Amino acid sequence: MSWSNLFVIFRREVLDQVRDRRTLFMILVFPILLYPILGYGIIQATAARENKPRIVVVVGAEYLPIEEPLLSPGGDGFNSRLLDPLDDTIPLLVQPESEQGSWGSPERRAQAIRNGTASAVMVIPPDLPRQFREKNDVEIPILFRSVDEPSQNTYFRLRELLDRWKRGIVDARTKKDNLPRGYAQPIQVRGHDVATVQEVQGNTWSLIFPFLLVMMSLTGAFYPAVDLCAGEKERGTMETLLISPATRAEIVLGKFLTVMLASVMTAVLNLFSMGLTGIVLARNGASLAMEPSQRAAAVAGLAPPTLQSALWMVLLLIPLAAFFSAVCVALAVLARSMKEGQYYMTPLYLVCLPLIFLTLIPETKLNLFYSLVPITGVALLLRALIMGDYATGGRFFLPVMVPTVVYAWMALRWAIDQFQREEVLFREAERFNVGVWLKHLVRDRQPMPTGGQAVLCFSLILSASWFLMEYMAIQGIGANLAAVAAGQFLILLPPLIMAMMLTSSPRRTLRLNWPAPRYFLLAIAFPVALNPLVNQLGHLVEQWFPISSIIKQSLSQIMSESPSLWVSVGVFALLPAICEELAFRGFILSGLEYRRRTRSAIFLSALMFGFLHVLLSLFQQLFNATLLGIVLGLLAVRSHSLLPGILFHFLNNALAVTQGHWVHGLEAAGLASWLYRNPEEGLYHGFWIAMSLLVSTVLFLYLWKLDRPDRTAETHGVAPVF
Amino acid sequence: MIHVERLCKSFLDYQRGWVFAVRDVSFDCRPGEIFGLLGPNGAGKTTTLRILSTVLKPTAGHAIVAGHDVVAEPQAVRSSIGYMSASTGIYDRMSAWELVEYFGRLYGLHPERLRERMEIIFDWLKMNDFRETLGSKMSTGMKQKVSIARTIVHDPPVLIFDEPTSGLDVLVQRVVLQKILELRDMGKTILFSTHAMHEVQKLCQRVAIIHQGELQVAGEPHELLKRFDQPDLEELFFHLVDRADQETAMAEPASDRPAGARKIRSPDQPDLPSLPTEDETDS
Repeated sequence: MSWSNLFVIFRREVLDQVRDRRTLFMILVFPILLYPILGYGIIQATAARENKPRIVVVVGAEYLPIEEPLLSPGGDGFNSRLLDPLDDTIPLLVQPESEQGSWGSPERRAQAIRNGTASAVMVIPPDLPRQFREKNDVEIPILFRSVDEPSQNTYFRLRELLDRWKRGIVDARTKKDNLPRGYAQPIQVRGHDVATVQEVQGNTWSLIFPFLLVMMSLTGAFYPAVDLCAGEKERGTMETLLISPATRAEIVLGKFLTVMLASVMTAVLNLFSMGLTGIVLARNGASLAMEPSQRAAAVAGLAPPTLQSALWMVLLLIPLAAFFSAVCVALAVLARSMKEGQYYMTPLYLVCLPLIFLTLIPETKLNLFYSLVPITGVALLLRALIMGDYATGGRFFLPVMVPTVVYAWMALRWAIDQFQREEVLFREAERFNVGVWLKHLVRDRQPMPTGGQAVLCFSLILSASWFLMEYMAIQGIGANLAAVAAGQFLILLPPLIMAMMLTSSPRRTLRLNWPAPRYFLLAIAFPVALNPLVNQLGHLVEQWFPISSIIKQSLSQIMSESPSLWVSVGVFALLPAICEELAFRGFILSGLEYRRRTRSAIFLSALMFGFLHVLLSLFQQLFNATLLGIVLGLLAVRSHSLLPGILFHFLNNALAVTQGHWVHGLEAAGLASWLYRNPEEGLYHGFWIAMSLLVSTVLFLYLWKLDRPDRTAETHGVAPVF
Repeated sequence: MIHVERLCKSFLDYQRGWVFAVRDVSFDCRPGEIFGLLGPNGAGKTTTLRILSTVLKPTAGHAIVAGHDVVAEPQAVRSSIGYMSASTGIYDRMSAWELVEYFGRLYGLHPERLRERMEIIFDWLKMNDFRETLGSKMSTGMKQKVSIARTIVHDPPVLIFDEPTSGLDVLVQRVVLQKILELRDMGKTILFSTHAMHEVQKLCQRVAIIHQGELQVAGEPHELLKRFDQPDLEELFFHLVDRADQETAMAEPASDRPAGARKIRSPDQPDLPSLPTEDETDS
């Protein structure tokens, strides 16, 4: 990597973007103009709304009692004592009407609401004075229209107003009858808000800012990416650049850094402009509000985020912008022209929007699962930090940042890969025909699947598993052994069918070879060596992110329903060992290895393996599954066979399933205390955990460094199983 | 300076399967010589030149450019060549001076040396009138001069021109050809692809005729005319193209043969070389 080349490319691309009017408009002018205009519009709309009072027709106003007045002395409004002082400032205008006139007809009343001449109609019955005297129950109908928001709001306000009127009447009566106050109102409810000033201030922004930050960061990345990649192809300068001595990685990184700069700038300027508009709006809102409490609420709600929150936002924005920039560069290089590049925008937004909409739902709380979801994790963490919830922020900072950085890194690798591909760089227009394409898939099959086919296989497994779970939920079937077995069958099916149909050598794809004997030894040694570490890690994860008691209960229920230990071992150890290995270390890993990026392929397949466990059982399993996935992937690559992995996977799961049994055995033999500090949970003594770490590391390093194909000649001589 | 031996390149096409764009192409090109690659559109000229400039990898065979292998040392090859084609564009939002300077820096030229070189080139190509003009405001002739300046800014020993006069008016064509001749006189190794006969006659000391991805013949023009008993290069070209088409028609039914390319078997079959791969972990 030549840093000077990288800098030269970066400098040119930035200069190019700064000279482009469209980019400047999107990054600088658009945010500066948009929010003040929006803010001005909001103020105008609010002002217009305030000037329009709600009309309440009171039919039979003549029957209202004089001693407890409902209406104001002039009769054109309600008694000011009954109005809520915290209510907004839209006045309620009363239009008293006699019951004898046209308003006596129910049709006339309903029509008035329908055509908007009245927001609500209150009907005072003629016998109200008599019923009051006799202290009987009286019904006062209020007509309103639920589909018309102002009418419905007027109805709610009238109900509160009548409640206060009712309380006044009851108070007068208790006083008159000399009864204690608590006679009619035995309970007084008073709420105390414990929200801090920062939380109140952050509440409005915490909903809007993460959403805007993500959208603006994406928009800011997309246009420059299309211009720098597809635009360069279209203008014919891409080939010139590729012929220069700069490597593909330098070219991609130069472009990526430019796109990232644009993305960060767009997001920061948008937030800055919006924050400034917010302050102005809050001041305006304060001056418009009549009541002091309203003024305080307006100022608090729209006050800008604190400096600390702003710094958090910028810090989190950087990996997010890196992720978007890398994805946009990789997508944009697929396009042959700027026009084609624009087509990719809609699908990209469609994928991102649901992920970001989650953060607009106040009930969505950051958990370990969401922290792994790209975009959503960052946005939820941002929300927590703006609210001043530093406990959540601190706990989830790494679980959000690490995956986001990993996703950004993977997207960047993908972008560099795209720049290496001749068929992407020199793609020509062609007429797509599904039939021809399918024929091509079968006719031009290659011995191993492609990376795209591996990702498709994983998506099919995920979708099939999700549909199974949804089907079980709809049918009311709880988790049971048969469902677990069916789930495994669905994991097995896509890789098997795809290997048969899309590759010319299913045997090589699924690694159905006899390996050298030492790999069987490794497959036995690894799970045994890893067991103390795996148990300890599981325990630590559970401490940090506890498993709910309901889930624990349902898990133990599945285990207890098993007729024998052998069935449990079969369902939880043997089946997953075969099915998951064929899928993840068979088809998927082979596909990801398509361009010989072995390290990335192992890591990515392990991450997919971990993610499947999040979906299938618990998100707490992610760490263990990913860790084991890396070891299993390496074992499969080095041994050129699936069999050691199946043995490893089987032993690892069998040790977990039968743990209770053999711990009891050890206890009976008096050996349990020698191994375990907590036999119940399978937690080993520190010494064994340290040994486990040491031995596993040695085994791993042996596989990683010493067992490379260039050091061992015999790995090439693997014999097929079938 | 350029040594090409049995170079092959095949592409995977949805409709046709694996097709050869270039098959078994071999030739040599020496310093101080313009070697012409003559062929109709779609003959495989651009693919050959792209392999020599390392943007495409050959499926088989090998090529040495300025002493470096195109597959093993692509960066060293790129540093030693200047490549220009009619389709290579220039940046709209950069001036002539900025663009040439940008590429000069990418070629690792020291700022002072780069400045000296650029002054010489701008004088030689008479570009000083528009050195501050943006790419978007340039005429086609200006753009072509900027492309030439960009191609030679690092003073490469090998120059590859892929139909550099295609789509240009006669005045600009004349300037471009004149400058290529001057470059030859400076001792550069020049590979020049075209489908225009008069350009070959004017420029090339030796010529190779390529059709359907295969080299039909190579040698000095007058020697070739004598060997095939043809009055001029144009007639020789038609004669060789007709001969190649007839041979292909006899070898396979016409319905199976797409224009400009030959169908081949999939690369995992033994008679074809597999795509080059490298193990990231183990390399």
